[in-house]
Amino acid sequence: MGEQGPRRRAGPDEELNKSMHRVKVYRLTDDGKWDDQGTGHATIDYIQGSREIALTVVDEDDSDTLLLHNITSDDIYRKQEETIISWRDPEKALELALSFQEAAGCSYIWESVCSIQQNLQFNVLDVHQAGLPPAFESLEASRNPPFHDESLSSINRESKKLPPLDLSSLSSILKTILECSMTERMRVSVTESILQDHYFFPKLVNLFRTCESSGNMDALHMIFRLVKGIILLNSSAIFDKIFSDDFILEIIGVLEYDPEARNVQTHRAFLKEHVVFKEAIPIKNASVVSKIHQTYRICYIKDVILVKVLDDATMASITTIIHTNNAVIVCLLKDDASFVKELFAKMRSSNISAESKREMVLFLHEFCTLSRSLQAVEQLRLCRDLASEGVFDIMSDVLQSQDKVLISAGTDILVYFLNQDPNQLRSYIVCQEENSQESNSLLGLLVQGMVTDFGEGMHCEFLEILKILMDGFATNTATYCRGVIEVFHEKHLDKLIDVVALSSPRKDISQSTYSPVGVGTRVDERSAKPEILSNICELLCFCVVHHPYKIKVNFLRGNSMEKILTLTRRRERFLVVGAVRFMRTIIGRNDELLVGHVIKFNLLKPIIEAFVENGDRYNMLHSGVLELLEYIQKENKSLVIYVTESFWYHLVRFEKLGSIQAFKLKYQQIMESAETMQSTSIINMRRKTEERGLDKGEEDYFNKGSDEDSAVRTTFAQKQSMNKLAKGNDIDQMPARSTSGGLVDYDDDDDEGCHNPPPPKNVKADEALTVKRSPVDDNQTDWKSPKKPKLEPRIICSKIVAVANVKGRHSDLADKQDSSPASSTKSFDGNGDVGDENILPCALESLVEILDSTHQNEDDCSTTTKDAENLSPEMAVHTTKATDSEPYSVR
Amino acid sequence: MGTSDLDRQIEQLKRCEPLTEAEVKALCLKAMEILVEESNVQRVDAPVTICGDIHGQFYDMKELFKVGGDCPKTNYLFLGDFVDRGFYSVETFLLLLALKVRYPDRITLIRGNHESRQITQVYGFYDECLRKYGSVNVWRYCTDIFDYLSLSALIENKIFSVHGGLSPNITTIDQIRVIDRKQEVPHDGAMCDLLWSDPEDAVDGWGLSPRGAGFLFGGNVVSSFNHTNNIDYICRAHQLVMEGFKWMFNNKIITVWSAPNYCYRCGNVAAILELDENLNKQFRVFEAAPHESRGVPAKRPAPDYFL
Repeated sequence: MGEQGPRRRAGPDEELNKSMHRVKVYRLTDDGKWDDQGTGHATIDYIQGSREIALTVVDEDDSDTLLLHNITSDDIYRKQEETIISWRDPEKALELALSFQEAAGCSYIWESVCSIQQNLQFNVLDVHQAGLPPAFESLEASRNPPFHDESLSSINRESKKLPPLDLSSLSSILKTILECSMTERMRVSVTESILQDHYFFPKLVNLFRTCESSGNMDALHMIFRLVKGIILLNSSAIFDKIFSDDFILEIIGVLEYDPEARNVQTHRAFLKEHVVFKEAIPIKNASVVSKIHQTYRICYIKDVILVKVLDDATMASITTIIHTNNAVIVCLLKDDASFVKELFAKMRSSNISAESKREMVLFLHEFCTLSRSLQAVEQLRLCRDLASEGVFDIMSDVLQSQDKVLISAGTDILVYFLNQDPNQLRSYIVCQEENSQESNSLLGLLVQGMVTDFGEGMHCEFLEILKILMDGFATNTATYCRGVIEVFHEKHLDKLIDVVALSSPRKDISQSTYSPVGVGTRVDERSAKPEILSNICELLCFCVVHHPYKIKVNFLRGNSMEKILTLTRRRERFLVVGAVRFMRTIIGRNDELLVGHVIKFNLLKPIIEAFVENGDRYNMLHSGVLELLEYIQKENKSLVIYVTESFWYHLVRFEKLGSIQAFKLKYQQIMESAETMQSTSIINMRRKTEERGLDKGEEDYFNKGSDEDSAVRTTFAQKQSMNKLAKGNDIDQMPARSTSGGLVDYDDDDDEGCHNPPPPKNVKADEALTVKRSPVDDNQTDWKSPKKPKLEPRIICSKIVAVANVKGRHSDLADKQDSSPASSTKSFDGNGDVGDENILPCALESLVEILDSTHQNEDDCSTTTKDAENLSPEMAVHTTKATDSEPYSVR
Repeated sequence: MGTSDLDRQIEQLKRCEPLTEAEVKALCLKAMEILVEESNVQRVDAPVTICGDIHGQFYDMKELFKVGGDCPKTNYLFLGDFVDRGFYSVETFLLLLALKVRYPDRITLIRGNHESRQITQVYGFYDECLRKYGSVNVWRYCTDIFDYLSLSALIENKIFSVHGGLSPNITTIDQIRVIDRKQEVPHDGAMCDLLWSDPEDAVDGWGLSPRGAGFLFGGNVVSSFNHTNNIDYICRAHQLVMEGFKWMFNNKIITVWSAPNYCYRCGNVAAILELDENLNKQFRVFEAAPHESRGVPAKRPAPDYFL
């Protein structure tokens, strides 16, 4: 549909021209009568081979020349009424008259004649008296070939010639230029005639000066429209002229007199007085300096003065000019080895003031921005050159500054380098990490930037940089990328996760309870801004998708996931939604170890809590959790079992929703298929009662606290299954809540929220934990005990849970009951990791190794076992794709 | 951000003057809090005025408000595609977003296929942000907000409104509930279809869409959807119609288009659909803003320059 624009039609337009200039030629006979000489078309044109201009009428029937009259500067012409021009030709002693068919044609020819006359005078007077700079004349002369009219006549016989420019011809020239946009041919011809008249712009400028000094507003408005029209001719040759140093400021002056604007603009004053050209390093090449000024002014014309005037094509041409200029400037500067050296030497130097260093960084920023106009190869080369000059060292300094503008410039420069070749920065980071023990590594600064409150903006830039740095999918030379990912996971990931943990309202460790979002919750004063948390959450999702293995190691060895999930307790619903998305990303991996971890540590609890608390509000949280449940229902049986058995008595409230119904149905199907697999009839029977009794039983259980449903049906079997399920739940939730039934205690929430001790300030997280734990947690000793021994059971446990099908459900639960206290105590309520690393770094090392090997085996396992829960590699790949909804990186 | 701040920003945006980067960030955070509470099928009460694609044609949108009345006096539902193509995507979207934050109950914005990171990088919004702010942060804030926009609206349980059309994955409106909309518009699936599909006379059932995303759907699909969900008709945008609005399939689906002289050259008129409290329909047709009214406050470049 883009091509439906109205097209200018050439045909009718020429017709119009013809009728406009149709005239009858009369000659006054000796007896005083006007004798009709014939009918034809009047034009004003150069006489072939001369510089004289003549009025010609060509017979419309036989193309004979009816009239050929050299226009003179003498005052002999008269215009009568609307349609008649008459004169006495002194040479031939003839009285002649033209009677026009249309008044418009008459006035057009009349204006042309007048302006030609004045121009003839101008040539005599102005050029020689007012005197253009001789240099200019010679310049023009050298550029344009000697005047000859072949080109004019060959292009278009009936094209409109421009009369020489002066005050009186202004309106007709303006008319010609405005009209000529009607057809491409006319446009070309008018453009040619402007270019061929090498006095055109000098005259225009003179005329403008005269009119401006005499305050002739009408004329100034007309000149504005004329220049605007000329710019819209969109001719690069004309742009070359008017943007040249000779004319550009005057052209800008002309454009101050916009007839549509209420006041005269002050562009020249702005450019002369307010604009400051800064030279961080003096540029010695004068032509570069002149190009820089010119480009700024062209930008100013495009973006400020004519922004609403320019059509797409003209805008594009001017943009191209700017691009080309930028490329030339950057090229000349970058090839000036001494310039670049001097710049970097000064930036590194210690005896340069902070202010001028700042200027140099800002200069470098503009330099990088402009170099986008270079060809790709050139850009890449420039990046390498700057990198070898040590640009990243400079950036490390910049990121430690307190100056927001400077930091912003620094991140922009880094993004520029990353878009060119991310491996440069990656290799720099990897080398820096290997070779120096400094705390202020560039990667560290970037991570720090992500969690620093700058007041406004910028967090997203750090996020962007980290994502590009660690986007292992996009790079073919993955070595450096892996190095960066390695360092990030080793040194920085936990920091980010702790920022989340510290920023979420705390729950009392001993009385882990359901706490409503945003009500009675307390946020640590070290709390990060919501947008920072949101960015961290996004980065973590990114890591889950892009470095699934590395992050899994982290997640499985500690309580990172629990910490991240504390986001569900944040007041801002979009952070709760972010936490759901995080969990969805994890589960979307379909990684049996992670799923096992989720089940083992009851990690869906905070999600379901948030969902239940949200109630019947149909918002993004609601939809996000439903989608998560739908995905689980379709993809992961062990999670279906876990969710149903752990949370059904909450979810039953939502049973009317299709996806919740489907979830229940799925659970029942799993049970049934398990049943058919069972050969023992006793177990079979047990299953049957359980399956039938399940929802009712749980409903009853749930309804003890509410009075929604009065139908309380208790059979022996139901009671039994209810007990069993309740027991199951206790097992799942045990480590976190030794006293309460967890989710069920809605009524106590507020009270407990109030009884929470305030989070200790300036106390190391692990100490705080220890203190808070002690009264109720009798597993405290375990928590501090060496990691390795309990690691094994944890992994085994996770695997068991993950691969558990229904057959093994009971034994699995029993197993969990046995193995959970030690390990899961640590996991609940956060911050255990800090303790781990303080106490047992070496144990952690070995932990990683063990997980390593676990991971290696995992793929084999999943492809060889016949377990229903295991996904085929294709499916896993597919899932990755489906859940990879990360924003596209910006190039 | 107080109400007076917001009112000032709205006034500023109405003059087509963009906000500062920091203001955009604050506005987006505020909008996020509001939009996160909205459902995938946002319930809308009549009377309401329904508007189709705007595409960054700021001055034409001002004509729209002239014809339809100001927000909050008029209750508005915008069917997406606020950005791209036109010259003022930034100002257009930010004005609508500011109105949303100021009068959350009087204006509903749902997502169009152009409210996407991928599409905006091709069709102009990305470049416009870069040009107007010198960085793409504003684009990032705005595209983050796009992920929060609702997917459809249901007016008085009788008129289902969506940007594109129907999806083979969606037979009942309640199925839309299960879409986790906080994501980039996917390349397939229900969410994609709602934003990309088109009704097509020549298609029986479902057909491949020439757009490369979404589907074409025929009259029988619309009939059964309307019947199943007990709605009167579907109201959508997404396709240029020269007359501003167009009924199809025996008045079972209507296309509303609100970008006059689309791309500043298509020569079409635009329309909005006004529904009174009894759901009586009145179309208001309007033309592009006259050229003179397009006063563009120019953004001055930084007065200091190195290069």
